[in-house]
Amino acid sequence: MAHEDHGAVYDLLKSRGVSRRDFLKYCGSLAAMLGLSEAMVPQMVAAVESGTKLQPALWLNGGSCSGCTESIAQVDTPDVASIVLDLLSINYFETIMMAQGDDAEKAAEETIKEGGYILIYEGSVMTGQDGNALVINGRKSTEILAEAAAGAAAVLAVGSCAVDGGWVAAAPNPAGAIGVQEFLTDEGISTPVINLPTCPVNPEWIVAMVVDVLLLGKLADGSILDELDDFGRPKLIYGQSIHDNCPRRGHFENGEFVYQFGSEEEKKGYCLYPLGCKGPQTFTNCPIVRWNSRSGWCIEAGSPCIGCGSANPTKHGGNWVDVGTPFLNRHRDLPLGGLGNTAPGTVAGVVGGVAGAALVAHGVGMKVAGRMDGGADYEPMKAHDAKKMKKGGGE
Amino acid sequence: MARVVVDPLTRIEGHLRVEVEVNGGEVTDAWVSGTLYRGMEKVVQGRDPQDAFYISQRICGVCPISHGHASTMSAEAAMGISIPEGARLVRNIIEGAQFLHSHILWFYTLAALDYVDPVKALEANVADTYALAQAAGTGACDFGAVKDRLAGLVNNGQLSIFSNGWFGHPDYAADMPAELHLIAVAHYLEALQIQAEAAQVIGIMGGKFPHFMTSINGGTSFVPTEEKLDDVLFRLLKINNWVKNTMIPDTLAIAPFYKDALGFGGGTGKFLAWGVFNDPSFDLTSRYLPGGAILDGLKVEDPDPAKVTEYVEHSWYDNAESNLHPSEGEANAKYTEYNTDDKYSWGKAVRYDEQPTEVGPLSRMLIAYLRGVEPVQDLIDGTLSALGAAGKPEVLVSLLGRVAARNLETAYVGDLTVGWVTEVIEAMKGGSVDLFTEHEIKDGSGYGLWEAPRGSVGHWMTVKGGKIDRYNVVAPTTWDIAPRDRDGVRGPMEEALIGTPVSDVEKPMNVCRVARSFDP
Amino acid sequence: MAHPAHYREAHPLVFVITHWINLISMVALACSGFYIHYPFFSGFMGVARGMHFFFMYVLIINLTLRIVLAFFVKSATVLGSREVDTDIKNWLPQKANVHQFGAWIKYYTFFKKDHPLGAKYGVLQKGSYILTVPLTFLMAYTGFCIYSPVMDWGFFQAGLNLVNGPMNMRIIHYFCMWVFIIFTAIHAYLANVEGVAPSRLIFAWKEEEGLHFDADGNPAGGKSH
Repeated sequence: MAHEDHGAVYDLLKSRGVSRRDFLKYCGSLAAMLGLSEAMVPQMVAAVESGTKLQPALWLNGGSCSGCTESIAQVDTPDVASIVLDLLSINYFETIMMAQGDDAEKAAEETIKEGGYILIYEGSVMTGQDGNALVINGRKSTEILAEAAAGAAAVLAVGSCAVDGGWVAAAPNPAGAIGVQEFLTDEGISTPVINLPTCPVNPEWIVAMVVDVLLLGKLADGSILDELDDFGRPKLIYGQSIHDNCPRRGHFENGEFVYQFGSEEEKKGYCLYPLGCKGPQTFTNCPIVRWNSRSGWCIEAGSPCIGCGSANPTKHGGNWVDVGTPFLNRHRDLPLGGLGNTAPGTVAGVVGGVAGAALVAHGVGMKVAGRMDGGADYEPMKAHDAKKMKKGGGE
Repeated sequence: MARVVVDPLTRIEGHLRVEVEVNGGEVTDAWVSGTLYRGMEKVVQGRDPQDAFYISQRICGVCPISHGHASTMSAEAAMGISIPEGARLVRNIIEGAQFLHSHILWFYTLAALDYVDPVKALEANVADTYALAQAAGTGACDFGAVKDRLAGLVNNGQLSIFSNGWFGHPDYAADMPAELHLIAVAHYLEALQIQAEAAQVIGIMGGKFPHFMTSINGGTSFVPTEEKLDDVLFRLLKINNWVKNTMIPDTLAIAPFYKDALGFGGGTGKFLAWGVFNDPSFDLTSRYLPGGAILDGLKVEDPDPAKVTEYVEHSWYDNAESNLHPSEGEANAKYTEYNTDDKYSWGKAVRYDEQPTEVGPLSRMLIAYLRGVEPVQDLIDGTLSALGAAGKPEVLVSLLGRVAARNLETAYVGDLTVGWVTEVIEAMKGGSVDLFTEHEIKDGSGYGLWEAPRGSVGHWMTVKGGKIDRYNVVAPTTWDIAPRDRDGVRGPMEEALIGTPVSDVEKPMNVCRVARSFDP
Repeated sequence: MAHPAHYREAHPLVFVITHWINLISMVALACSGFYIHYPFFSGFMGVARGMHFFFMYVLIINLTLRIVLAFFVKSATVLGSREVDTDIKNWLPQKANVHQFGAWIKYYTFFKKDHPLGAKYGVLQKGSYILTVPLTFLMAYTGFCIYSPVMDWGFFQAGLNLVNGPMNMRIIHYFCMWVFIIFTAIHAYLANVEGVAPSRLIFAWKEEEGLHFDADGNPAGGKSH
């Protein structure tokens, strides 16, 4: 098992029983999945055939629930075995790797030493308890991340937790969770971060990134970074709202809504907007790629979107739980940080009520003062001028 | 005497450190440490009762369905909501799909590499492998292609997720034929697809997996249609078939080579299950996998949630009081240092009736067996005969028993899940299916007791002023990886590690096997 | 008992028209907005959204036009006078407004018996009229921020980032609407509490005789007729 110069990736695939015909088909289906034109296929094939060795990668788990690992295990185009055996060499992957204990850590160390790897980070960065909220192999997880990220070609922050702390960072953020991008900025580490929010990450997007890097060479030429939005998210994936691509959008425009679970409208598959659907405020292509190998997705299964893809890696308070709760209500409250929430409707009610009462009282006053009909008599001159004149006159 | 540490224990959900003391080739003491603190309960407090369902299931990316259901049940109990019959069935199906998914994933993706050496599989003769598969009654696939793929991986030198694995470890059964290793590797790959199909059932009925959407307070927001039920039933039948014709035969083919694992890894011998899969009565003890507690020999009693308490003497919390009921306890996180003589885990020492009780498939299957659930009795009796231990269910209290119980439960749950889908179809034929109970938000307290594939889960909720005032979770892993309590009594996994043979202190394979057998 | 004369010079016809357009579009925007926020009955969303966009553009164009016209159209410098000057001068604080803030507060709260001398509008009145301009633009800005075809423009992204995303932006949009509604209520009350002459003038462009003032807002002596 000596490390040496390896044949083309295609040779590898061939040695694993993949025929050229299958291989072309495979590239074709990847292109279709990514919404690329068929014309891209020869380019992808050429890119793979000129490769020399599998792209090394590390998959680190921070304050995670392993849900993103679970999620990548559900992908079928290609299936997870192809990803971890034929496309990437993921040398550290806590939830599924064979090695354990110190031997697992050594696999990571060796990869870090060699460099040129992609770091995939799942879960939030646990800064709480002075970094002791997560300790692995006697080291704070924050130290591990800093080291691994510094030497990586790029960091893929998968899942909302890795992007901005996710639910773990929701108020009162008991464990000091933050996102990878913020952590690296604080540490002065300039490795580029690609953010892939939703809880968990949709595995199709990881595959899309892998294809961008491996088949289209977009990391090598840096173009992958040009296709990111202000939040470091690939525009292709996060450029449109769920609402805009929702199959129930027609019902929204027609004004056909579900007002109550268990109702006739629900059975008809009407729009879930009045039940608090966060589709209009959430930007992912879930309605298009769907979930679990396209078998379904939240709204199709009858649930309003809860906006688990909302994330803001550039500042605190934008995590999807703080932004999206109460999930099944149309929102009226404006969160004001430590001051709690305020509901414009309530504020308006109070202010309007006070104003209304004041106006009524004022009206009564006006009546009493006899100003109703044409108003009071005008002052002969401004009170200020009168005072001044009096003063001036006194001198 | 040597202190041996495995940190991180990989191929589990989350982060776990296992430390053992080895004397004369055997574990004589053990400390298990959960090394991650997130504080979910505090995040949920102050939000709407409905929000807990979405947030709290994210404790665990492998068993979110069970947390979600326990959370919803706690909210429904607190607000006095009962769910209609259709919702009961839909929830059971989604939960059942997760059990299938989780157990298949655990056995093949997480645990198999403890018993199966992929490098050994390279020595297999492909023709003999087919013969062996036929003899074992397990599924055949393109074994030649699998072997070539494996060879390509090894020759390439980039081992990916197999990097630094303990290939050729002496604890791999020396007499297990290479062909059986190859069969297992082939099924390791196949299982990835089967578990994904189980998750697709949740994708259809719950929106996505992990983390699902539809089991909201009052019932479900999933509306079954012929089309969707057909997609679900087709997948479940396929999975069920695979479990019966591949997973169970694999288990029975490999188990005889690891019979020594009947001799260790048993643990406290005390078991708890809240039970899972409601029948129309919604009674804990009449669930398809019924609730119960085994505290004294193999005798089962009804479970009482009031008997749950949590100690924090050895956990990183600076609570003034310990040994409180979960609905009273407050977790004030305060890391000090990792010290096996003092505090050494973020996990609390949860106890039932002040005793360390194991939770999980072994607990459930034993309780179901003792309560006379017929399909479970048939499965267990058949397996005991195959292992030459007919009529001796107590041998299941061991490493091998714990593994076997999980796989047998998979077969039972597979049948049940198909049955529930059929029930929904029948109900639809007869007209409509009630799926949701309209309700108001009310103040009150309640709890939801349920089972995740890995063990008992309880959520306690208090609603005050329409918001969640208190929220507490006792997660399945919390039971099993519990540290010592006030009196220094070890937790279930710690206790199960005692007596585990260690052939190589650098590579304590059996320690990992026992710890992993809990599916922590 | 006396009120100033209401001459057409106070509100030239073009402003009567822009005021009408303001009123109609704001009512349409508020109603359609309420419906979009929570569609309390079925079948109207497409229309409501169409109305909301249409009247938003109408309001913005009208407001812009109104501001531009203010630099070209002449209007009465003072209520009760036919003396005119460029409208913008009468819209922004005038000399006659100086030192009157306290007087108006006292008058509104009945601590002052006689009516303060005014410029074209009283101090508080003028302040609120001026504030409706940025408020309207803020309304449009927050609205565009939650309108997906344009929300990824840097100008709108910056605002979205500031308030943590479109959910909060939508609530701010909602909040601004309440400010408008309350403003309108107070505006309508104060404009009419001393008689409906102002309404007759601004809506129907009907004059009414009354006290006469000079261009500086001082009593010009006697009634206009």
